[in-house]
Amino acid sequence: MRLYAIFVYLFLYTPIAIIALFSFNAGRHASQLQGFSLKWYGTALSNPFVMDALETSIVVGLIAATLASLFGTMAAVALQGVRGPVRALFDMMIYVAVMIPGIVIGIATLIALVTAFDHLNPWLAAIWPTQSAPQLSMGKLSLIGAHTMFTMALVIIIVRARLSGMDRALTEASADLYATPMTTFLRVTLPLIAPAILAGFLLSFTFSFDDFIIAFFVAGSETTLPIYVFSSIRRGVTPEINAIGTMVLAVSLVLLIIAQLILRRSDNR
Amino acid sequence: MKDNGYLDDRSRAGLHPIAELRGVSKRFGDVLAADNLDLSISSGEFLSFLGPSGCGKTTALRMLAGFETPTSGEVLIDDQVVNDLEAHRRPVNMVFQSYALFPHLTVEQNIGYGLRQQRPRLGKDTIREKVGQALDVVRLSGFEKRRIWEMSGGQQQRVALARAIVNQPKLLLLDEPLAALDRKLRKEMQIELQDLQRQIGITFVLVTHDQEEALSLSDRVCVMGEGRIIQIGTPQELYDSPRSRYVADFVGTSNFFEGRVTASGAGRATVVLKNGMPVEGRVTAEAAPAGEACVSVRPEQIRLSRSDRTGIEVVVHNRIFLGEHTEYLVRNGTLGDFLVLSPRQSELNDGPFNTGETAWASWEAGSAVVLEKS
Ligand SMILES: Nc1ncnc2c1ncn2[C@@H]1O[C@H](COP(=O)(O)OP(=O)(O)OP(=O)(O)O)[C@@H](O)[C@H]1O
Ligand SMILES: [Mg+2]
Repeated sequence: MRLYAIFVYLFLYTPIAIIALFSFNAGRHASQLQGFSLKWYGTALSNPFVMDALETSIVVGLIAATLASLFGTMAAVALQGVRGPVRALFDMMIYVAVMIPGIVIGIATLIALVTAFDHLNPWLAAIWPTQSAPQLSMGKLSLIGAHTMFTMALVIIIVRARLSGMDRALTEASADLYATPMTTFLRVTLPLIAPAILAGFLLSFTFSFDDFIIAFFVAGSETTLPIYVFSSIRRGVTPEINAIGTMVLAVSLVLLIIAQLILRRSDNR
Repeated sequence: MKDNGYLDDRSRAGLHPIAELRGVSKRFGDVLAADNLDLSISSGEFLSFLGPSGCGKTTALRMLAGFETPTSGEVLIDDQVVNDLEAHRRPVNMVFQSYALFPHLTVEQNIGYGLRQQRPRLGKDTIREKVGQALDVVRLSGFEKRRIWEMSGGQQQRVALARAIVNQPKLLLLDEPLAALDRKLRKEMQIELQDLQRQIGITFVLVTHDQEEALSLSDRVCVMGEGRIIQIGTPQELYDSPRSRYVADFVGTSNFFEGRVTASGAGRATVVLKNGMPVEGRVTAEAAPAGEACVSVRPEQIRLSRSDRTGIEVVVHNRIFLGEHTEYLVRNGTLGDFLVLSPRQSELNDGPFNTGETAWASWEAGSAVVLEKS
């Protein structure tokens, strides 16, 4: 059993370790190690295409994570008051949203948006005062939308776990001490679920920052970092790509660990 | 006919009822958690709800606090029907069983929470001063900046108390506030609670399933069972004159002897026990039971004797030395086992009795109570 587990982990992590290792390779070839160097990181970070893609990824990630945290929290709080079959339906939809493969979400979002745009664009052109009506198309906004919807489910699950772990007597105590429902929410509920919201935000950002599959379908002409990596490796794996990959990995890992620590710490209180 | 105990009690006659339940029922699905409760709580009194787990004590309290709406009946506070008044608008405060202290706030902020909600707003200094006074009352001065999790159980309990009394509510509701504390601390806190209530003069309504706690702290105890109020009275009334076997059994310890009523009148009844012995007792219920009945006698009212061969012949089955008292478990062939509590004084005269020894158990006619069989 132990041995089996070791093989599984080796199988999973060896490729990643190799990428990280070769990102520090002084040589240009991916086949042999020629000493330690950070030069490929320099090359990557001074490449304007990489920086553009990075900026897109960060902007999309931040906006999507913010929206997902906001709406996810609202949904989690609202769902608390919902019972019975309606609740069961929502629970099911939330878990399904997390379990559906990214490729399905990507294609589905693409088809839905393209269809919607096809209907909306002529209509927009008709009511637009000038000749040059804007065309709705795939781009940053569709990417933000798709990432928000997908990560919102994560936020709902995390925040709801925190909410249900919260002593109901706390909100009752607040009401007992003359606080209106709004005050109770702002002064008791929100501070207590804040760690979960923050963790949800970080996880959402990480997800968006890493995501290739959904982005591939809905990004239109926009290039996020994962899309840039994908399009570059068609021209062969360069040490520069290894460096980018390692950086993405490091950012994701750090954020995930922070999110874990936040959740763990808030649970101990 | 239900008695609310209120009119009986001359010491409180004329006092203003601060809160009332009028025919209040609460149904949760199939469970009738409160069944036609009638109760009047006088200003300044210390009232306890006493009853076994699940009998509806918390539900009654929560209806006063405004966390539950009665299915039928009326809840009044200060002569106003408050059925539809939300909890945050009611002039009552509650001490929760779990304390429900806000973990993200300091002790000071917890206690000042209610004051900060008042409109028009209170000044910062006023709040600080009142919080300081409340901390003084619960003897926690100097703990202002502490976090809740840095406080011991007993200290948390007192913070919860301070957080409620600082608002000077008309009614302070306490849901088993001492249940989480160990025995020694509980005793200390009981005394503190009672002192506190006398000192600040707020009406206390305490929920407990600890009869000792209810009897020692309260002006009046409301004994509950299966969602109903079984009997309300002062601790002494409940102890000396229980109106049902349920109350006699739940309040203190009692021995029950079953038999048949042969004569009754003028607040007394005669019951022939299973061994053919006639005994007389007081009738505490409105009417004397007819036919099957039971006689309740407190263990400390039974006297064991070697020489005086009257009463019930028993064999001493077990003896427990309790210091001031000795508790005997004695056995009679037809009547079964019962308990006798002998004070040390009488032990010197006619005791102690050894296990296996034969003795005679008797009691004064006035100390027995004749009750319905169940
Ligand atoms: N919110 C609720 N939903 C459904 N049933 C409830 C609810 N609250 C209480 N009950 C039921 O009502 C009955 C009375 O409950 P309550 O909490 O008032 O009892 P209690 O006397 O306080 O008991 P304990 O001493 O165990 O705290 C119980 O049968 C309980 O299961
Ligand atoms: Mg209870």
